[in-house]
Amino acid sequence: MSKQINVALIGNPNTGKTSVFNALTGLNQKVGNYPGITVEKKEGICKLPRGIKAHIIDLPGTYSLNASSLDENVVIELLLNKNDKDFPDVAVVVSDVENLKRNLLLFTQIKDLEIPTLLVINMADRMSYKGISLNIDYLEKHLETKIALISTRKNEGIENLKNLITNFKELPVTPCIDASKIDKDYFDNLRKAFPNQLLYKLWLVITQDVNFGKTDRNEIEAVANFKTKSKGDLKRLQQKETIKRYQFINNVLKKGQTIDITQAKDLRTKLDRILTHKIWGYIIFFIILLVIFQAIYDWSSVPMDFIDNVFASLSEWVKNMLPNGAFTNLLAEGIIPGLGGIIIFIPQIAFLFLFIAVLEESGYMSRVVFLMDRVMRRFGLSGKSVVPLISGTACAIPAIMATRNIENWKERLITILVTPFTTCSARLPVYLIIISLVIPEGHIFILSYQALTLMLLYLIGFGSAVSSAYILNKILKIKSKTFFVVEMPNYKLPMFKNVALTVIEKTKSFVFGAGKIILAISIVLWFLASYGPGEQFNNAETIVKLEYASQNIDEEDLQQKIASHKLEYSFIGLTGRAIEPVIRPLGYDWKIGIALISSFAAREVFVGTLATIYSVGSDEEETIKNRMASEINPILGGPLFTFASGISLLLFYAFAMQCMSTLAIVKKETNSWKWPILQLVIMTVFAYIVALIAFQFLK
Amino acid sequence: MNTIIQNILVFTAMILAVSFLIKKFFWKKSKSKKACGGDGGCGCH
Repeated sequence: MSKQINVALIGNPNTGKTSVFNALTGLNQKVGNYPGITVEKKEGICKLPRGIKAHIIDLPGTYSLNASSLDENVVIELLLNKNDKDFPDVAVVVSDVENLKRNLLLFTQIKDLEIPTLLVINMADRMSYKGISLNIDYLEKHLETKIALISTRKNEGIENLKNLITNFKELPVTPCIDASKIDKDYFDNLRKAFPNQLLYKLWLVITQDVNFGKTDRNEIEAVANFKTKSKGDLKRLQQKETIKRYQFINNVLKKGQTIDITQAKDLRTKLDRILTHKIWGYIIFFIILLVIFQAIYDWSSVPMDFIDNVFASLSEWVKNMLPNGAFTNLLAEGIIPGLGGIIIFIPQIAFLFLFIAVLEESGYMSRVVFLMDRVMRRFGLSGKSVVPLISGTACAIPAIMATRNIENWKERLITILVTPFTTCSARLPVYLIIISLVIPEGHIFILSYQALTLMLLYLIGFGSAVSSAYILNKILKIKSKTFFVVEMPNYKLPMFKNVALTVIEKTKSFVFGAGKIILAISIVLWFLASYGPGEQFNNAETIVKLEYASQNIDEEDLQQKIASHKLEYSFIGLTGRAIEPVIRPLGYDWKIGIALISSFAAREVFVGTLATIYSVGSDEEETIKNRMASEINPILGGPLFTFASGISLLLFYAFAMQCMSTLAIVKKETNSWKWPILQLVIMTVFAYIVALIAFQFLK
Repeated sequence: MNTIIQNILVFTAMILAVSFLIKKFFWKKSKSKKACGGDGGCGCH
């Protein structure tokens, strides 16, 4: 009579576990669901030597025995429950030769449950490409197991694996780690309370948030309630356990595995060697950034000019076609120029996200994260902080929310506080219009001054973020340690559909999210600029005519002076003039002051606001840029937007916390008003001082 | 007549705009789990 044994195939995702399952079972397999849940259950029969049959279960992929999903629960529950009909006689842990270190964490955990455990090292055919060599005898001795080196792709080593499974009774069940070394006192107490139970099993039950559906509940609940330590302390012990496991694995692999990167021959390794090189890696990243910013300028200039002209013509057309009156003026001078101020930036925003999506899709962005980790550590941040800082180029809100995966509170808080320095897409319209006004159009080699300035502003943003992180790391007295793990995906050609969807979604979000606010603010601003209190506003025409009665000026000039007088005494003019003393040292007039205030709702409102204010009372068909370029400084004379005032304005926007929504999300994420208020005050004061120095020095 | 209608339209637009801005920035919304960029938007722009 043939004997049947239970074999559980366990492993990290993407280790080729299912290929091993297929190689062992062939067509003798069936797929169903685990009772009560929708996790797929794959099982099959494999004929082994000596007439033994193996009932093989392909368990869901898991990185460790610390469950975080329903799939992983299935694995843990089976391994903890000896009464389960599928409880394995032997556990076969499938690992991938390229990620052996990470895969061995799960192996050591399963072995510590004192279940006979076999190690399968799959994808052996990749070893020569990767420059990997293994000392199997050494590994078997120190891991106290048998190892099957296989390649399912080439169908090599499967028979050896079957033989090893057949002889599973010869496998030692000694644990890799002595669980009591994690915390001696705690584990001594645990052993006293449950003398007949396996220590590591008890520890897993206590620390897991597992729904033990099939296990004996009374026994499990008694153990699970044994919590003489707080949740935080238990988490710390879990981390200590993981560190101890990796120390063990590192020691074993030091002599058991050799990776000679110079012998690696595959394309991915060759590319990685260059792209993550400690010098070339940074140079290539810098060149890619240069290309991106140059392309943003070169490729989008034609559609931008077209959009600008369309909106200028549309305003003119509305004024000519509709009956004269307040609402026609609101459309022509408020709504259309305000909307034009946002639509015009669609080409540049789309190109920026096109490049970001291509870098992400190709797998290069993960290399950037890895590369930057070396830099970030010096500033008290981890590699994980790079993701929020990079996504901050789109918007600080999701970037701050992305800090949730940083386990260490100090690093998370610092990342939250410095992320608003990164140049978000809302700053882009402000930068672009000011740069086009104050930076000349010349070139250095093939790079334009304007593109270089824009890149410099992005670097200033990133530089401010990391340097303030360095300061905060010194100031904040929170002690903690963290580890950085990033999985490098394979390089691949970006899929057109994915890239296109990212570009469309981001651009749509930018236009529709900002569009509604800008439309509303344009209406309010036009209203405030077109109405005013008191005699000076209501009798503007009479006052100006009287003032210029003795001078011989033509009708057009007179109308311009009346419009200017009305604007000055309108609601918005009075408000702007009230704040003018504060902003004048920075080189700004009251109109820029109004734009600064309104752009606190969203930075890009700045351009729309100026477009609206400058349009009021003007009959000429003009683009936004031309209107801003022709604006005269009321105090000094000459153009308002000079090199000095432009640089001052660029620096103010680079450093100031001009975003209401970011403050709200910081409050939400830190659960305190203390941090957003500190952020607002410090960033605004710093921005003011830098802008002041820049203007006074350059004027 | 034209002036009155145009003024009514202007004041209506102004009231709608102010109401929208108050609702957007000062009205306490129920918590949304949607991420930035989705239909819910993050309100950052």
